[in-house]
Amino acid sequence: MIPEGSLLAAHDLRKTYGSTPALDGASFSVHPGEVVAVMGPSGSGKSTLLHCLAGIITPDSGTITYAGRELSAMSDAERSALRRSDFGFVFQFGQLVPELTCVENVALPLRLNGVKRKAAERTALEWMERLEVDDLGTKRPGEVSGGQGQRVAVARALAASPKVIFADEPTGALDSLNGERVMELLTEAARSANVAVVLVTHEARVAAYSDRDVTVRDGRARDMEHAV
Amino acid sequence: MTLLEEKLPAAPPRPASPSRGSVTLRDLGLGIRFAAAGGREGWIRTLLTAVGVGLGVALLLLASSVPHLLDARNAREQARSENRASAYSETNAPKSDSSVLLVNTTTEYHDRTVAGFLMRADGSTPVLPPGIDRIPAPDTMVVSPALRELLDEPGNELLRERLPYEITGTIRDAGLRSPGELLYYAGSDTLTPANGGHRIGGYGDDRQGEPLPPLLIVLVIMVCVVLLAPVAIFIATAVRFGGDRRDRRLAALRLVGADIRTTRRIAAGEALFGALLGLLFGLAFFLVGRQFVGAVEIWDVSAFPADLAPDLRLASLIAVAVPLTAVLVTLVAMRSVVIEPLGVVRRGRERGRRLWWRLPVPLAGLAVLALWGRVEEYAPVNPFPITAGAVLVLFGLALLLPWLVEACVNRLRGGPVPWQLATRRLQLSSGAASRAVSGVTVAVAGAIALQMLFASMNADFNRMTGADPSRAQFAGYSEDVTGEAATSAIEQFRATKGVEVVIGSVEAYASKPGDYAEDEVEPTTSLTVGTCETLRELARIGACEDGDTFVVHPPGDKDMSAWVDETARKGEEVEIGYGNKVMRWTLPADSPTVQGREDPMGETHYGIMATTGAIDAGKVPGATITTQIRVDHSVPDVAEHVRNTAARIDPGMRFVTIESVERNRQYASIQTGLQVGASAVLLLIALSMLVSQLEQLRERRRLLSVLVAFGTRRATLGWSVLWQTAVPVVLGLAVAVAGGLGLGAMLVHLIEKDVSDWWLFWPMAGVGGALILLVTLLSLPPLWRMMRPDGLRTE
Repeated sequence: MIPEGSLLAAHDLRKTYGSTPALDGASFSVHPGEVVAVMGPSGSGKSTLLHCLAGIITPDSGTITYAGRELSAMSDAERSALRRSDFGFVFQFGQLVPELTCVENVALPLRLNGVKRKAAERTALEWMERLEVDDLGTKRPGEVSGGQGQRVAVARALAASPKVIFADEPTGALDSLNGERVMELLTEAARSANVAVVLVTHEARVAAYSDRDVTVRDGRARDMEHAV
Repeated sequence: MTLLEEKLPAAPPRPASPSRGSVTLRDLGLGIRFAAAGGREGWIRTLLTAVGVGLGVALLLLASSVPHLLDARNAREQARSENRASAYSETNAPKSDSSVLLVNTTTEYHDRTVAGFLMRADGSTPVLPPGIDRIPAPDTMVVSPALRELLDEPGNELLRERLPYEITGTIRDAGLRSPGELLYYAGSDTLTPANGGHRIGGYGDDRQGEPLPPLLIVLVIMVCVVLLAPVAIFIATAVRFGGDRRDRRLAALRLVGADIRTTRRIAAGEALFGALLGLLFGLAFFLVGRQFVGAVEIWDVSAFPADLAPDLRLASLIAVAVPLTAVLVTLVAMRSVVIEPLGVVRRGRERGRRLWWRLPVPLAGLAVLALWGRVEEYAPVNPFPITAGAVLVLFGLALLLPWLVEACVNRLRGGPVPWQLATRRLQLSSGAASRAVSGVTVAVAGAIALQMLFASMNADFNRMTGADPSRAQFAGYSEDVTGEAATSAIEQFRATKGVEVVIGSVEAYASKPGDYAEDEVEPTTSLTVGTCETLRELARIGACEDGDTFVVHPPGDKDMSAWVDETARKGEEVEIGYGNKVMRWTLPADSPTVQGREDPMGETHYGIMATTGAIDAGKVPGATITTQIRVDHSVPDVAEHVRNTAARIDPGMRFVTIESVERNRQYASIQTGLQVGASAVLLLIALSMLVSQLEQLRERRRLLSVLVAFGTRRATLGWSVLWQTAVPVVLGLAVAVAGGLGLGAMLVHLIEKDVSDWWLFWPMAGVGGALILLVTLLSLPPLWRMMRPDGLRTE
């Protein structure tokens, strides 16, 4: 049921919002360092699958296993702790905290894990340098462009050395040039750090950066290369 | 035909340049339309503003009703008072077909006053107090609705025992001071002038009430300023609810060609609509709230709905001032916002807030007070400089606060994550936080100044009675009773549950017998009869046995001692009683002379003191019983047991609780007014802070969901909300304490008193602190709700 060597695997997930089914028997897996694109049309359940995999919401039924541990058996506090320590997130609009400077935003996951401010900001600056936004350290999100903000968001996702990054339409709000640069940086950084990436997108151009595609349609996930 | 070849519809012709006035009206109208038809979000924002303004307007209407409320209460009170001829004449009104005998039987029950009268008609057409149709038949009573309710409630058996009359009717509103008043009129067929009855010929007292002393006028002015200034600030805050969202909408308008002036006028139109709707809401809140006001009683204050009628001039002022304030506040607020067409709203705050124009405002207030606000004890008070000075100081503090908050938060660095989130948020937008807190600052500063004023006036209005409540807690007096009745009364008190000691004495006049010329003063002193135990409480008596007598001198008063000795001649007769009711008695020759001492009421006794074995107290004519009673407070309802005994002995007995401090009634009612008003204002401020907080949280809903996705703990965000509230409130309280102490010291100086206590600000600072906690606690449930991942579903 759980593919061998997988870091994160889901089986037969079902989730409904009211009477609307969002997931209807979806299964999924990702291996360490692997970049998997989750594709599908709007309303197909891509984001719901991502939120379930990340432990942000709990499915109505089905199992999710992360590094041998059953996610649905964990308490809310345990799942929160897991998200702090092992997961990173990139959203469509960056969703940086507007009142914090860029470097403080990148350092935030580390600080939530209890790292001292100076050490956290030092690490944050290193990631920002790698994502080519180290000159934005003292600027607030409102003062930077969309592409820059998204790179800051990628740096934030990577800063706490996660095992999995969940990226929900990370280039959806960017022009193609900026979008491609963000994807290059994200996937390169993830691969070099052996971080798995679950990439939700509906753009084939973005999905091209992945190692494998999974298509979600009507709440069911279909692995394009492996039978899951 | 291609699309390019197709004939496109022509644009309508442009109208000629409209006049400036019509452009303004058009833009205001557009703003009103945005506010009224802005979809769900727009309506929520408009409703928030309207509810906020409405609450403020309701409070202002309430305040503008106070003059009518007081007049109406006073008129009813005067209408049921005895008319001047009978109430203040030395003798009773003449007996007639309409005259009535009555005795005041007012009592206290569980710290509430139960006013009452025993009545007996002399003829067939008795005069009646307002609110009743006839004198109650003997052993029946008519009661106020509140008293009826109290008597019907279980657990009030002791009160029913005290008022053992059958209820036969209800007193109408016209006969009551307020709906919560406890009042009864009971009928009697045994009441006579001889046993305490007082004959009256009519009701209705047309005398003017006692005017307020100048010091109290200053207090009233300050109470009004202190209570109403935060309400004005609250209204100004409420019209800015949802400002961020509005700014974004205006940015969209800029994109389609609206210039900056147009956007400002549109924003003013939106604020105008919110304020007008707020006026309607306020009127509705007031009218609806008025219906329930009769059921609410705070610190013994309640009112009939009809009493709450706003003064027409004040109501008109509110109707004009509130929309005008809304428009002005919006226009001033918009000056610090740069709205650009590309949906970007930038705060034009690079230069920071300036101190130079803010600081002079409170200083000008202090100067006005110092130059024109002096109050002299016997001169009329000019209220205008005091009002203007206090208003300038308080509003000046509200102006100083945003500068101080900005200056302080910009210096804050580092700290744990919740602290960092809070301080960074404040650095980005300290204005909203300052606005929410400015109400607290003004209210607390005003309250501190008032407390200082109250404290400095304390000695003028609170008299130390000299009584010692540790020796006795209750005192009762019955006049002109037979000695037999007096001794029986004392015994009944001794037998009452929970009574430890009764200092019960029978007192009568004692005079030197003889014939005196008209211009000659008859040597007279008092005779006090009691047990040795009682007499020891009244004089410094050493050895005492039943049958002993004493001549008692007032300590340190030689003249009065000599006067006592003129009457109390050892071995000689004295005449006891007065008028026709006298008896002669010989003061034993071996009576020692001792010094008097203060009784628990603080009164010094002297004259002749005799034990019950020396003179038969039952035969003393024209006696007064004085009983001072010490009780065991561990016995439940002991006070009510003692009062029941007093009512049983003599319903007209004057029975009081012994207190070491006696408060002036007017002073006390102003203090009560302040408590009632301050509670309402602080609740309003808490509500305002809560709305601002919730608005901020709503704006950040998606961000909160993202933070949840990171695994952020609830506690982290909870603490950040707390710090975000606490930092401005602490700064606001610092301003309030400094400003309040300054204003208070100036006011105290104006009434030529000294500041009695500089530490009076602690309780108010504590209230401010409690507000922070309250608002934070109330913000947490919605924060928890918003920390759900649902916010991410829009991604």
